[in-house]
Order: sequence, then C-alpha cells, then structure tokens
Amino acid sequence: MPMGHTATVEAGSGGLTATEHRLANGLRVVLSEDHLTPVAAVCLWYDVGSRHEVKGLTGLAHLFEHLMFQGSAQVKGNGHFELVQGAGGSLNGTTSFERTNYFETMPTHQLELALWLEADRMGSLLAALDDESMENQRDVVKNERRQRYDNVPYGTAFEKLTALAYPEGHPYHHTPIGSMADLDAATLEDARAFFRTYYAPNNAVLSIVGDIDPEATLAWVEKYFGSIPGHDGKAAPRDGALPETIGEQLREVVEEEVPARALMAAYRLPEDGTRASDAADLALTVLGGGESSRLYNRLVRRDRTAVAAGFGLLRLAGAPSLGWLDVKTSGDVEVPVIEAAVDEELARFAEEGPTAEEMERAQAQLEREWLDRLGTVAGRADELCRYAVLFGDPQLALTAVQRVLDVTAEEVQEVAKARLRPDNRAVLVYEPIATDEETAQ
Amino acid sequence: MTEATVTMDFHPQPQAGEAKPWAFPAPERGALGNGLTLLRCHRPGQQVVAVEILLNAPLEAEPKGLDGVATIMARAFSEGTDKHSAEEFAAELERCGATLDSHADHPGVRLSLEVPVSRLPKALGLLADALRAPAFEDSEVERLVRNRLDEIPHETANPARRAAKELSKQLFPATSRMSRPRQGTEETVASIDSAAVRAFYEKHVRPATATAVVVGDLTGVDLDALLGDTLGAWTGSPADARPVPPVTADDAGRVVIVDRPGAVQTQLLIGRVGADRHDRVWPAQVLGTYCLGGTLTSRLDRVLREEKGYTYGVRAFGQVLRSAPDGTGVAMLAISGSVDTPNTGPALDDLWKVLRTLAAEGLTDAERDIAVQNLVGVAPLKYETAAAVAGTLADQVEQHLPDDFQATLYRQLAATGTVEATAAAVSAFPVDRLVTVLVGDAAQIEEPVKALGIGEVSVVPAE
Repeated sequence: MPMGHTATVEAGSGGLTATEHRLANGLRVVLSEDHLTPVAAVCLWYDVGSRHEVKGLTGLAHLFEHLMFQGSAQVKGNGHFELVQGAGGSLNGTTSFERTNYFETMPTHQLELALWLEADRMGSLLAALDDESMENQRDVVKNERRQRYDNVPYGTAFEKLTALAYPEGHPYHHTPIGSMADLDAATLEDARAFFRTYYAPNNAVLSIVGDIDPEATLAWVEKYFGSIPGHDGKAAPRDGALPETIGEQLREVVEEEVPARALMAAYRLPEDGTRASDAADLALTVLGGGESSRLYNRLVRRDRTAVAAGFGLLRLAGAPSLGWLDVKTSGDVEVPVIEAAVDEELARFAEEGPTAEEMERAQAQLEREWLDRLGTVAGRADELCRYAVLFGDPQLALTAVQRVLDVTAEEVQEVAKARLRPDNRAVLVYEPIATDEETAQ
Repeated sequence: MTEATVTMDFHPQPQAGEAKPWAFPAPERGALGNGLTLLRCHRPGQQVVAVEILLNAPLEAEPKGLDGVATIMARAFSEGTDKHSAEEFAAELERCGATLDSHADHPGVRLSLEVPVSRLPKALGLLADALRAPAFEDSEVERLVRNRLDEIPHETANPARRAAKELSKQLFPATSRMSRPRQGTEETVASIDSAAVRAFYEKHVRPATATAVVVGDLTGVDLDALLGDTLGAWTGSPADARPVPPVTADDAGRVVIVDRPGAVQTQLLIGRVGADRHDRVWPAQVLGTYCLGGTLTSRLDRVLREEKGYTYGVRAFGQVLRSAPDGTGVAMLAISGSVDTPNTGPALDDLWKVLRTLAAEGLTDAERDIAVQNLVGVAPLKYETAAAVAGTLADQVEQHLPDDFQATLYRQLAATGTVEATAAAVSAFPVDRLVTVLVGDAAQIEEPVKALGIGEVSVVPAE
C-alpha cells in the first residue's frame, strides 16, 4: 500500500512527517505520528462542496452533511454522536465551497471506533436515510441559516458579496448554506442521488494523526473501508476559472436595519496553492491584519472614522480567491470618506510595496497562525486532507509555513499592484434604516 | 426500500483498547521578588507559549458612574508604554508573531499573551512594559472611549448579546455591579478619560496582587532569568485585602420579551444563579447540566432539535460569575439558543416539559455514564494546547481554588452517581425559578408565550 512517501523529515516542516497510502478501492490515507498526548484525530474529506451543486439545489451538500449524522446500516439514529462522545471524543462536520469534512478526535484507545463509524456511513448511509431524518434536518438547517445569517445584522453580507464577485451561473456564485427555497425543495431522492454520486472511497481522503501505531491503524482502515466499492459516477464541477481581474467595479447598496454604515468589498485574487496566493495573504496582512496594519492605523487610529477595519483571505483552489475587506464606520461618518481612504492606502501600497519591517511582521503573524493550526492533532489532520484533496500532495501541509516565509517583498507588491485595484472588486455598502421606516414598507 | 442494497463487508462495533493514563497537568507555584504570584507548566511540543496575567481589579471596584473604566484600562495596556507609542507597541507585538488580548470581567482584568517560544523573551518584555509603565495617553484613551461607544449599538443589535444584557438586569439588584453591562453603558463610558483610567490603575494594579501563568514547551528556556528581567522589574505597593461582596439575585419565575419586530427567530436565554466551583454540588451540577443540554444528544436537543427541528441547537451551561475564598460566590446557570419565530411557544412548552420530566423521572444510568465518559474522556484533547491549560489554571486562581482543582474534579465526576446528578440538575433548573429572556418579535410571540403559564410576561423595547 505505501505510495512512495516515507516518514522523512522535510526541510521547513518543523519536524512533522506524514506517510501516504492508497487502498485498492481508491481511498487515499495519510498518517502522521505524534505521541505527545494520548489522542488521535481522524479526518475525512470528501471532494464535494457547494460548487458541485446545480441551480435549484443550493444548500444540498450542507444539508447532506447533516444527514450523515442520522445513522447508517449499523448505527442507529444519533448513534454516531452518542458513540463518539461516550468514548470521550469530540466530532463534527463542515461544508464549504470545495469540500465536505468530517472529523473525530478520540482518546488513543478509541481510535478504532471512529474508523468503524466513518466506514459504516461511507458504505451504508442509504440503508438508514429516511423521510423523517430528511424533514427534521431540513428544519434544523433552516434554523441554522436563520441563526447565522438571517437574524443577525450584516448576516447575509457574505452571501451577497459572493453573489456579486462570482457571476450568475458560476459554481461559487452561491454559498454553502443555500437558499430557503432550495432547502424547501430538496427531496429525499436528491439526497440519495447526491450520496451515490459523491460519497465513494475514491472521492475521499482519510487522515489519521496523533498517538497511533501506523501498522495497526492501516490494518483497521483496510478492514473497515477496504470492501466499500469505489465508483466513477462523479461529474467534475463546473469550471470556476475566471479572468485574473473583474475589469470593473461592481457595487450593491443595501438599505437595512443595521447598527452602523459599513463598507465591505471582495477583491479577486490568485487561486490557493500558488506562490502568488501566499504573496496575496501577506499583502492583506500588511494592509488589514491585526492592529498594526495600514488600514487599522489609518482608519481606526488616525482618522478615527471606523470602529473596525480589516482584510481577510478566503482561499479557494478552484476559482479565484477573495480578499475580504470589512470596515464598520464610526459615528456619523459616511462611506465615501472611508472608501477614499482605503483607495489611497491601497494605491500607496501598490506604489511602495511593503517595508522590510512590515514583511517581518506579516510573516511572523502567518507563521504563528500555522503553528496554531498544526499544533493540534485535529488541525494537522485537517490540513493534511486539504493539501491531499485540493493539491494532490498532503506533504505540502507540513512545508506551507516555509513557503510563506520564502515570499519576497517584490512579490507582495506585484500582487497588490495587479489585484488590489478598484476595478477588481465587488463592493457592498450598508446604509442603516430606522425600524419604523422598515415597518412602513 | 430497494435503497438498502449494501455491498460492503460489515464488522461488529470494535471494543476500546486499553486507556492510557492522562492527568490534568500540575503547575509549579512560586513568586517573584516583587510579590507577583507565578504558576508555570511545561507542556512538551507546545511551541506556542501561553501567558495569562490576572489583575485583582474587579468590576465592582470601578468608581460610581464609571462603569467600563476597567475595560478601557485593559484595552489601553496595549496602546503604548514608556518605550513605545501605541502604533509601535502593536507593531512590536506582531513582529513577535504574538497576540495579546485583554478584558475586564467581574473577578478582575485578564491579559492573555500567545507567542512562539522562540520570541517569548521579547514578547514578555513588551507585556511587562505594558503592566509596569502603560502610557495611558489622553488621545489614545479618548480614542478607545469613542471606539467603545461605537461598539455598543452593534451589541444591542446582536440578539445573543442583547439577551445577556437583559438577563443581568433582571437577575441582580440595580445597586449590584452585576446588573449592569460589563463594559459600561453609553453614559458611563462617555465619562471616562485618561485620568480616570490612571487612577483605577494606580489603585488596583500592582504585582503583589497579580498572578502570571506561563504554559508551553519551555525546553531550554531559563524562565526565572527571563521573568526576573521582565515582569520582575515591575514594582508597586504591597497587597491590600479586598473583600468579595455577596451576590443576591431575584430568580422569581417570569418572562421578559425584548421586542425586535420582524425577527425571524427568538433568542432564548433562561437563567438564574446557583452554586460555583466551591460548592460540593459542583461535579454533580456539571454532570446534570451536561445531561440536560451539553450536546446535541442531551435531553433538550433530543427534543427541540433532533425531534422537532425548532432550533439549530440549545445548550445548558454553568458559568462562574465570581467566586470568593469563603465559598459565597455564584455561577450563572442558563439555557440558551434560538428557535424560529412561529415555533417559539411550542419550543418553550417542550423545553418546560423536558425540565418537568427530568424532575419527575430523573436521569437514567446510561445518560449518566455517557456524560461521565465524555466529560472525563475529552480532557486530554481539550487540554492539548498551552492556551487551554493556561486558561484553566488562571480560572482556578481567579476563583480562589487549589491548583489541583481540575485534576480532582475529573476524579469526582467519575465518582458521581445518577441520583446526585439528577438532584443537582433539578435544583439548578427549577421550573418556577427561572428568568426567561426572549429577544424576538413581541407581536408574534407574546400571546403564545403568555398561554404557557411559565410566569408573568412583560415586553421591553430593544433599545
């Protein structure tokens, strides 16, 4: 089963290693030993996300993720949760544009249970999936949507900005939560078809990290997953490729009952996995990460026009990534004042590039974020899956921090110049309205 | 159903292997020459070191009319020192790859530093400067005050934050600091200036009443020398004893609706005060509360989420508000979550049924066993990072508990039976002594909630 990579420490990996294996049915397996704490993380990434959904069925990948916790051939009802928690483990699943992940962190001596559970639902979910679970989880997910998006101020900003940044019909035009109408319309047969299409061992990567015996672990993986048949029924997602820049400024003004004006924007940036995307991450960190960034210093400290200002990066591999600007105004400050300052700072940064000290700070921040992520067995398991699924090589997870440290100031300036421009962004402006005005509508 | 055609080989559910021993880490306790209490704990492999600083500057020490001054002081620590301006200080910290968070709560002010061990010396130097010689410049404090004032409307608009504010107001007498927002109101925050911040600092911040907790992989780090050069250089007057005021609360059963017209969900926060960690009932209360609402297979979510679909999740929890050395402290015991607007009445009805059934029939042994196995079993993963260990050690100090409290708690949980857990859960959540705050659309939920008979219903505006 070994595929060539052995547990040799690579430069810049902080001493971490991982080995790769593949079962005959196509399931890829990544193992990484770490005996400091008696725990083991199991992480399973299925190569399916909201980008695989089609019009009229938005939210299906996420709704389906919920159904994966409703039992399978040998696991009754909520048994997956009950058994893992009763074994002293913790677990969950999440859905994004590009993947669905499931994870259990277990005390070492309960690792086998987690593998048995994951295999049971990978191979036999449809034996248990019924109308009752479907109707119940549909309501739960609709309440998740209300709680996280519809019932909080600015809650639908992400959805609105994504819809602006990726054109109609693009696989990333809609977000994983989906629309209420589509959640209502999804049928049990849609869910079954989704499982048959995407849930197969050859469309998944399993990583196991922590206090493990690699040989025994691989034997368990073979025992529980080995007989699940692979299949090639999956269609590739629609192509997410887009031109490097938008070519115009897209804009939407939202008049809603929010506590303050806000300026949000999404800039089209290089795809994840490229050196240019690491350069973009550094550019956004210098400009808007933390309390010594250029935008924070300008808007919050000096001009005092904003209560909060920052940049984030939504890393995407199958479509351009998004640089995410979020500024909430202070007092009665108007949006154009903020926008002019942001444009000025971005233009200046494109002109000058980062200073040596700014590079040092941004790299130190990103390095610590990587140490945090790789510092837990669950975090490491997730990153190994990410690099295996999206970039075909889990080893890249262990050297990611070194690649960020290798980026030069010139590369950071270059990406800022090319991408952080007003004609390469979608802008969302919030203008508050009073409660009584809203009820009068 | 033809769907059940399954082609894989099935195996019986595997049995657990042999558990490996794990214990909550024991810190080493000491003190610096300036009186600063020090707890240290070596955690192999944890390259990001966590440092927690506790200052004995509780909210009730804030001068009358200046609620929020402890918060502004906490924030101002990272806004410049005798060596660096505010911008420089933030830049130097980030150059270390460090994060420094600070906040003020009822027991005192906490600063939390996280930094890769390679840059610990420099970051500790910055932290020590902040504590020893904060600049508290007029213009920086003025900016923090304005910033804080800008935050308040955002909190008011957030259903969960709004509910928490209302519950505190309902539970505690107006004279108690606990009845008022931790970070102050528009009125009180607007009165804060740099002189007020400095006065609060001079009165309540000194090494003799402070504690530092340092956790991480300390291999090759001469921590004594390092601390001597940094936090050891901080000077101040000796400690003065500060009594912890008693807490009283009115938990007469009633319902308060905070009106949010058009809300698609109702935010629930149902609470009262009860025993803190000093009370012998604590382990049983932790266990019983978990069985009631610790996870999605607990009693509340089994009905409200997994049977009815009214919610994404409802949780029951106990959160210590303030502890005293003599055991007179209290915890907030509460149930929180959000349910869709049309089902608010039915969801509350079911919630009360769950509580009544618990009181009438008690927990089962199976529920108790699963809860113990989870609460005790997750400890090694919960405490994998240095920050998690440092946080719990700091909580113990803040709550006047022995350093081995958490380690002992795990043994006590394992020894707690079903009957004790039931009794603790029932007395923690008695159906007639719960204050229910609902942030939602009063026009739609008031009548259905009144019909439940769970207490007198009143409606207050959101702002």
